[in-house]
Amino acid sequence: MQKQDIKTQYMLDDSQSADGGQRIDTMTINMGPQHPSTHGVLRLILTIEGETVVKAVPDIGFLHTGIEKTAEAKTYHQALVLTDRMDYLAPLCNNLGYSLAVEKLLGIEDEINDKIRYVRVMLAELQRLASHLVWLGTHALDLGAQSVFLYCFREREMILDVFEDLSGVRMMTSYICPGGLQAELTPTFEKKVRAFTSIFPDRLQEYHNLLTNNQLWIERTRGVSVLKAEDAIAYGTSGPVLRGSGVVWDTRKAFPYSGYEQFDFDIPVGTNGDVYDRYLVRMLEMEQSLRIVNQALEGIPPGPYRVQDPKIAPPPKWQITGRMEALIHHFKLYTEGYRPPKGEVFVRTESPKGELGFYIVSDGTAKPYRMHVRAPSFANLEALPRMIEGSLLSDVVAAIGSIDIVLGEVDR
Amino acid sequence: MAITAVSTVTTIREKFPQAVVETDDFRGEQTIVLNPASLVALCTYLLKNLRYTYLSSVTAVDWLERVPRYDVVYHLLSIPNQSELRLKVRIGQRNEDHPFVPTVTGIWPTANWFEREVYDLFGILFTGHPDLRRILMPMDWTTHPLRKDYPLSGFDLPEPHWGGQVPYDVDPGVGSQTLRTPFSRELNESRSKISQNQEPGTEKRK
Repeated sequence: MQKQDIKTQYMLDDSQSADGGQRIDTMTINMGPQHPSTHGVLRLILTIEGETVVKAVPDIGFLHTGIEKTAEAKTYHQALVLTDRMDYLAPLCNNLGYSLAVEKLLGIEDEINDKIRYVRVMLAELQRLASHLVWLGTHALDLGAQSVFLYCFREREMILDVFEDLSGVRMMTSYICPGGLQAELTPTFEKKVRAFTSIFPDRLQEYHNLLTNNQLWIERTRGVSVLKAEDAIAYGTSGPVLRGSGVVWDTRKAFPYSGYEQFDFDIPVGTNGDVYDRYLVRMLEMEQSLRIVNQALEGIPPGPYRVQDPKIAPPPKWQITGRMEALIHHFKLYTEGYRPPKGEVFVRTESPKGELGFYIVSDGTAKPYRMHVRAPSFANLEALPRMIEGSLLSDVVAAIGSIDIVLGEVDR
Repeated sequence: MAITAVSTVTTIREKFPQAVVETDDFRGEQTIVLNPASLVALCTYLLKNLRYTYLSSVTAVDWLERVPRYDVVYHLLSIPNQSELRLKVRIGQRNEDHPFVPTVTGIWPTANWFEREVYDLFGILFTGHPDLRRILMPMDWTTHPLRKDYPLSGFDLPEPHWGGQVPYDVDPGVGSQTLRTPFSRELNESRSKISQNQEPGTEKRK
């Protein structure tokens, strides 16, 4: 890398600009990794002319922790906890994607019974609600509507209570694992979920009352950072960003996984591809998620919470003191781990941010040879310069909030 | 006739017989292994004729013991046809440290960042890429961490300066990853001492 190249790309210096310094009224400013509105450690190098952004260069990598490299050194069960930490606002959705990929690799997809499927769907949709609540709260906060923030977090606390009840952990639960769920459903969790679902429709209406027809909100978001449908597909965006631009695509409908085909829900799609459409898509998605949670709650069938195969799922603890096979299976699973056959899989799921894909290559040993995560925020962020070049500086904040990035996922 | 993944593989086999090295079907997923030279032509055909408009990801796998060393893997999705496909290209001959692959940024603009990530973490160069520079690692990093011969916890750093600036009275050694200023190589070059655990490829700044 030439020193010159680094300077023009990263340094805040206009004297080396391509046009020889003719545009004397551009200024290159840094929206640094520490910024309340970048939703994480995102650095944007903006070249502005007055208030208009002429060029935007995102600089990422501040949260790169080498998850993909670390996963190569862990067994499949150990690598599960790494997946929680990527999109840290929707850990259960990451777990679900990873578990589906490993189950496909192992070839035990048919052994995942309906109870596991229903519970996974219900938890994934609750997680989607939690993630969208954080998005709504922080996005509104960035644009000035500060009261929405704590209302959203108040509702999210109820969802985190459900997760804590089931797994003991509020956020990084790792509750969905390859083979099923980590533990049996507790007797109190249904009451907690119902407590949430009974009050949430009214709360959602409250948020609509505050923002959806609010003139200030509309002026701040309508027509801002438009991303056309062809650009959205070409730049590989997914999730509400893609749907906000008018493309009807949802992995839950196109390639249904974990029993989604048995649930009745709609996909909201926008028309203009502006911030307001993406906002509305996510609000309506919250409604649909609530619908799925209610359906799942009505009909969770009885059954074991984990695959019964002792070569994959460890036996219950009480058997270990009495039976030799249980002890040996427990030992082998926790020291060596299960060994999927050689091969590779790519499983896509619809996480709250978009299309989350897990590409796992197995070489027959107990550790994944390569785990690549197709992070939706990575591709969505790539489309950001396209969205904000030409718009005002204050619209940059609206745009970043509307694509709902999580830097843990972008950088891994 | 509806285009499915299986029919795509058959069509590609007919249209580009010399480009396809092998095809695979594992757990219902179709993979086509191609020659690197015909990558762009085949991808343009997939985009224009078979409507694989969406590139999900570009990534790579390092098979250390094998020649060719790397697999560059492309995951495609066709939104109109609801079908998915995987393309693979095997590159990296025996003494080639930075193998070349043509870029697909002209076909799917989203490949820009994905290919930058593959360059950053594996060292695979994409010819024709508009802006090939590091994306996740610091800009002055010299090696490629996701390669199989790169240790998990990195190379030794001079104690106790893991991260952050090295104090002025301590020789950081050439190749220390602790210095974060972009022109740090010049500062280190002038010191004659070379660290024992020097990171490979850091002797001279290009």
